Amino acid sequence: MPQIFINGQPVQADRSQTVMEAARANGFFIPYFCWHPNLSVAGNCRICAIQIEDRSWVEIACNMPVSEGLRVLTDSPKVKEYRKSIMQLMTLNHPVDCGICDKSGECMLQDYHYRYNGEPSISRDAKVRSTKFHPLSERILLDNERCILCSRCVRFTREISKSNALGIVQRGDASLVRASEDHALDADPYSDNVIDICPVGALLSRSFLYKARVWYIKPTPSICPGCARGCSVQVWHRKPEWKLHTLDQVKNVRIERVTPLENPAVNGPWICNKGRDLARIFERPRAEQAMEKGRPVELSIAIATARRLIDEAKHPVAVVSNWGSNEELAALKRTLGARFTAFVKQDCAPEPGERIEDDILIKADKNPNTAGARALFAAADDGIALPAASDLVLVWGEGFDFARIPAKAKIIFLNSYLAPENGHADAFIPVSVQTERRGHYTNFQGTVSAFEPCFPKKASVADAEALFAALAVTEDAPA
Amino acid sequence: MPGKPLLMTFPVTATSHTLADYRARGGYATLAKALSSMQPGDITKEVSNAGLLGHGGAAFSAGRKWSVVNLNDGQPHYLCANADEGEPGTFKDRWILENAPHLLLESMLISSYALQVRNAFVYIRGEFDVPYQRLAAAIEEAYDAGYFGERILGSDFACDIVAYRGAGSYVCGEASGLLSSLEGKRGYPRNRPPRLTVQGLYKRPTVVNNVETLSNVAGIVANGAAWYKSFGTAKCPGTQLVSISGHICRPGVYEVEYGYPLAKFLYEDCGGMVDGRKVKALIPGGISTKVLTGAEVEGVTFDHQSLNAAGSSVGSGGMVAIGEGTCMVRLLQVMLRFYHHESCGQCTPCREGTGWMHRIIDRIVGGEGRVEDLDRLIDISRWNDGNTICGMGDAAGYATIGILAKFRDEFEYFIANKRSRFDGNLECRRSS
Repeated sequence: MPQIFINGQPVQADRSQTVMEAARANGFFIPYFCWHPNLSVAGNCRICAIQIEDRSWVEIACNMPVSEGLRVLTDSPKVKEYRKSIMQLMTLNHPVDCGICDKSGECMLQDYHYRYNGEPSISRDAKVRSTKFHPLSERILLDNERCILCSRCVRFTREISKSNALGIVQRGDASLVRASEDHALDADPYSDNVIDICPVGALLSRSFLYKARVWYIKPTPSICPGCARGCSVQVWHRKPEWKLHTLDQVKNVRIERVTPLENPAVNGPWICNKGRDLARIFERPRAEQAMEKGRPVELSIAIATARRLIDEAKHPVAVVSNWGSNEELAALKRTLGARFTAFVKQDCAPEPGERIEDDILIKADKNPNTAGARALFAAADDGIALPAASDLVLVWGEGFDFARIPAKAKIIFLNSYLAPENGHADAFIPVSVQTERRGHYTNFQGTVSAFEPCFPKKASVADAEALFAALAVTEDAPA
Repeated sequence: MPGKPLLMTFPVTATSHTLADYRARGGYATLAKALSSMQPGDITKEVSNAGLLGHGGAAFSAGRKWSVVNLNDGQPHYLCANADEGEPGTFKDRWILENAPHLLLESMLISSYALQVRNAFVYIRGEFDVPYQRLAAAIEEAYDAGYFGERILGSDFACDIVAYRGAGSYVCGEASGLLSSLEGKRGYPRNRPPRLTVQGLYKRPTVVNNVETLSNVAGIVANGAAWYKSFGTAKCPGTQLVSISGHICRPGVYEVEYGYPLAKFLYEDCGGMVDGRKVKALIPGGISTKVLTGAEVEGVTFDHQSLNAAGSSVGSGGMVAIGEGTCMVRLLQVMLRFYHHESCGQCTPCREGTGWMHRIIDRIVGGEGRVEDLDRLIDISRWNDGNTICGMGDAAGYATIGILAKFRDEFEYFIANKRSRFDGNLECRRSS
């Protein structure tokens, strides 16, 4: 454990660390563009300059190994002067179009410029023009004028997603990030991570383009339900204090974007593109009306009907959703578990063209909580037939073929989305989705992660956890 | 001949580059001596003792570079000859490649033995057509004669060589950029540490030496370090191939013994300036070295110590003589255009700075210069100095600072009058 000194303060560093890593581990801030904790060192942005005491020049912290007694200055006049010059050069050909840039507000170039330079450019020559809105893939646009050529995206596709989809062509100030082949980035299911790691607004998400200013939206920690990995994500939605009262009220309850939430135990700092598209899952047309045989009824009526059906049943069967949270599953087990024969169903199967499984993040099981559900309900739904004697089937969640239900059996159906089956149930009860409640999922490794509510649930929709408790009250229920 | 020669010791004829002629001059005898009677470590020691410096520009001790390679680390080692001679004004390695390719090959074999290299490479610039053909033919001849391959000259030593043609990038002449290119990647220079002798080609210890540096190895091993030290000066032994061009009567490649008076070389060996003009400026070793004025040339001897004391350096030996009447503003424009065009674009100061400098000098030459432009050029040069991944950013700055420091009045004249002081008096046009 070599001891080094940062701005005069002694710090214990690890022999394998660089000055950058040692400084960060001990709470000292050194700015960086190209450096990223999960990528190799490129050392090209030069903003992480530091000075070693008694040396007249600056060196880069990201590529400097620590050695015993190293005396590092992160803020000397020389360093400040150099960083100022680097910011001048960084912004020399940068369009500084922050007013129309999606990155504005969370842009490292913006932050550092205010912090380390803060002055207008001293250049009076025309800026180098380059490509705008270059379609790097179906999902990503590239603004080459904003690009500072830090090569983070290139290194990501080489080192993390291993698609080698990006490279740099041309040279000097004409250098351009480009796809290595046509559609190369389309084939990379992790491509959207390059948008997050882009330190400037060069790589733009086409789905988030011009959708929201980042200071109007906030992240809520959540879990991607797209597969059994259960990556931690941040669901970005409009801040309550910026709620819209008249026009565009849909924006108040809209998922603006999804970004990874760093979680070393599960997904590190990355997620796959499916996790970016949670809006496609949660913003499908919602079922918000309780029904009996397709006839709209009050939610309380439908619940009462369901309770009556349960009371009357002799051989009730429950088909359990593996999209239910641990809390909901436990509630079901606690309240109805003794009465029902339960099978855990697979709500979702892989979609055509979707990557099934790889050794990075994506798992073949496309449901978030199979592990949690199977821990409580050992029996899995075999997908063939339910017990012939079943006279009541409680179906929870999607992905169940109603033709499999014995002809005379009654049906209680809990679903969040509009579906033709909703009208077939004797009692249909709409339930909330993940973004409307709090809970936990257990991923395939057994790691339990939490998700938080982003939006309020509508009054006409039930919460499955409370619903199961309500359904269980049988003996003492008022007639 | 400016001093005693080490390399240009034979008359160039139509066949002097062939194996038969090289053997007739005693070729490959040193290899046999090294393989039969010397240990690898002895050769490195001999090269270190000889004080052989790099001849590509940085003048780093070859022996010290070699000593970093641990022969017993169980890893493959690589040797690469840097024949990507791209420094403007430099064409000295070309002479070796064209006229003495076997000298390079024999030296590389000896060096490979010293460094326990199984695979050696020659990275030759793509524009070198005849040199490549000569080198490729020489490699063919050497393989046929059993100098490469398994069990060379009956010993246990085995070595293969590949000549790899570059694609015309200046930065690929920088050792780490060269290795990136050789690996098939973009020719981006790499950050140090690690040094290339620790992690170079394919992340293995690699020695990259200039063609001329390597070509001196055979002579040192054949005749000993003491013999080599009898050339040049005490602090700076040996010779330097100098390629001189510009407004000089007899341009070409000369072998200059270190310590030889620079003025004598210019006026006697090279026949003086065209039309008997005075030397306005001299770029001593490629455009990345700082210029000397005509007055500064007097009294300087051609060696590292004397040139460094004069504020310049030997560099790559690419000398450019600039005659009285040349517009230094336009000269700097040519240089900055070159650096802008050749910047690899990897690190910020050089990528943005060289383009900016080019735009400024273009504007000055276009008659739209501003007074603050000159300070701006110096600022950008300083921002580059020592702060880039490779030395190319520094080089652009040195060239600019060197010229501005000595010819600032010409730039000020150009900005104030929107024309060159030498317009209508074009360089070296015969006036009679």
